[in-house]
Amino acid sequence: MNVENFSIDLDTTYVLRTVEERGVRFVRLWFVDVMGTLKSFSVPSSELEQALAEGVSIDGSSLEGTVRLRERDMIARPDPRTFQLLPWSRTPPVGRMFCDIRSPDGIPFPGDSRHALRAAVARASELGYTFQVGCELEFFLFAEATEDGEIPRPLDRGAYFDLTPRDEGSDFRRQTIEHLEQMGIPVKASHHEVGPSQHEIQLQYHDAQSMADAVSTFRLVVKEVAHEQGIYATFMPKPLENESGSGMHLHLSLFEGESNAFYGGYGEPLSSIGQQFLAGVLTHARELTVVTNPWVNSYKRLGGGFEAPSHADWTRHGREALVRVPSARPGRPSAARIEVRSPDPSCNPYLALALLLAAGLRGIERGYELPPEAEDQAPVGAPRLPEDLREATALFAESELAHETLGERLCEWYVANAQREWCDYQRTVTEFERRRYLPIL
Amino acid sequence: MSDAWIYACEPRLGETLGGQLCELGYRTLAQSIDAAPTVERLVASRTPGLVVVTSGIDAARTSELCTAVRALDGLSDVPLLCAVEETALGSGELTGDGDELLVAPWTLGELRLRIGRASRRFGLADHPEAEIVRVRGLEINLATYQVTIDGRPVDFTFMEYELLRFLVTHPNRVFAREALLNRVWGYDYYGGTRTVDVHVRRVRAKLGAEHAARLHTVRSVGYRFER
Repeated sequence: MNVENFSIDLDTTYVLRTVEERGVRFVRLWFVDVMGTLKSFSVPSSELEQALAEGVSIDGSSLEGTVRLRERDMIARPDPRTFQLLPWSRTPPVGRMFCDIRSPDGIPFPGDSRHALRAAVARASELGYTFQVGCELEFFLFAEATEDGEIPRPLDRGAYFDLTPRDEGSDFRRQTIEHLEQMGIPVKASHHEVGPSQHEIQLQYHDAQSMADAVSTFRLVVKEVAHEQGIYATFMPKPLENESGSGMHLHLSLFEGESNAFYGGYGEPLSSIGQQFLAGVLTHARELTVVTNPWVNSYKRLGGGFEAPSHADWTRHGREALVRVPSARPGRPSAARIEVRSPDPSCNPYLALALLLAAGLRGIERGYELPPEAEDQAPVGAPRLPEDLREATALFAESELAHETLGERLCEWYVANAQREWCDYQRTVTEFERRRYLPIL
Repeated sequence: MSDAWIYACEPRLGETLGGQLCELGYRTLAQSIDAAPTVERLVASRTPGLVVVTSGIDAARTSELCTAVRALDGLSDVPLLCAVEETALGSGELTGDGDELLVAPWTLGELRLRIGRASRRFGLADHPEAEIVRVRGLEINLATYQVTIDGRPVDFTFMEYELLRFLVTHPNRVFAREALLNRVWGYDYYGGTRTVDVHVRRVRAKLGAEHAARLHTVRSVGYRFER
């Protein structure tokens, strides 16, 4: 049998024709480093065909975060199915595509976070599951970018679900949602959050890869709209001491074909598959925390009250547990899911989702038992989440699950970045110390 | 634009067709068939918009091939052309009821016409004659991949575009999620059928209320575009 292909791929043609028809002059090519930071470079439209066919050579050390060890040439391959026009670019419009990073001989580069997630999703698929993710992102809006270290000024003093003239952020939310929808990221809901000038936008469920790309895009859109409106948006986990921090709650479920594998029937919180998945997430929560909560500041939110979780526990009705299991609604089996509440919106969404998925699958494969539910407080024996970045990093460095899921290279880079962050923090003499100790010592 | 699959017993006819179909805007995939009478789905992902069987001079063989191709998964309602040499016309039934006959030598114009006739039998507008599909203010240019509503361009991702194109060019028929996944995304995709729902929602949002209302959810079956 002999199969020939007479023409190039349809999705590539689609991009090239659209660029031509819409008069696009530049296309931004995006990829992420080990910490999830979005990186971008531009190619003129005249070079696009070649970039799509052969990829573009980049310095691979740009994936390593702030700890850059060595230069190496890598190839960025744009993914034509992620092509979008940036809605805030006027005329001529600017396009963007996400890239996969390959080594010069064409194999996926093990330092590419997008590849790590794709591998985890492929594993789930081998077991017959598709992984669906919904996402709630919180962030703060401040008057404008502040000087180093100055306390930022919130735009309003509104509160949870407030609809008042004080909610100057509602204009902002409307514009943001419009941009997101145009970029194919449907929004489920948005509202004013608990803190002053704190907002939440919920994204509709999606497959994990699309959701991680959506989170990367979301963060840029929010920053972009804030910039347009002369304000400052931040995903810093805990910008204000006496207010809520910002979280990124992830709603996770597995599907087998068209049916939700977590659905346990009306009145049951979860199927046995769902319970084992949840047990996997709880069992491995401590070793994964440095990825869902990557910065020194993340730990001022975790365990700092305001409903942020502090232990690896779960609940149906409580407010502070690591995982909430929403009650199954009659007639809505597809909505059965677990809500992981620890991640913050500054994390690398690719690695976080890859690890949560791997932890859950391990729970299924090894038949983990679900521990008792938390009522008002964490049940006796529920392990405490790491209390600072150093502890979290040490747990991750020892994690067999993390090494198996992400591979040596990503783990090594991640640990190096986290250790460097902790080291810089440790060397800093803080405002707290001066205020507390200068007068008395 | 869609895929055309060529099952070629007769390499010369197959090559001619490949070139002509490319000119008409198809993406073509060809499989040459040797003496063995088995045919398989081509490894290509999507279900094609057109299938061509070429079998030279042997009438019995031609008829056998057309039947075999029709029996393949997902190919029962795809327009089918049967291309033969004139000498094959001597005896017997050549094609099935729904199929169109093409006798060598033919011109590009005739080929286009025959494809049009075969497509209409299946209620499709999806042949290269119609490069622009219009449903009131909604216009899809199949050659440039651009969609406009009341003259204003609307930006779709590739998969959103493909889904919309498929539904609009196969109007008034219900497609199950699984069928859409196979025909639009292709067999190698493992995002799950919920992906279809996600994309339908996105397409509706971009179409705006008037046109979104044409894209119906058929409860516990799938989706239908009404023209």
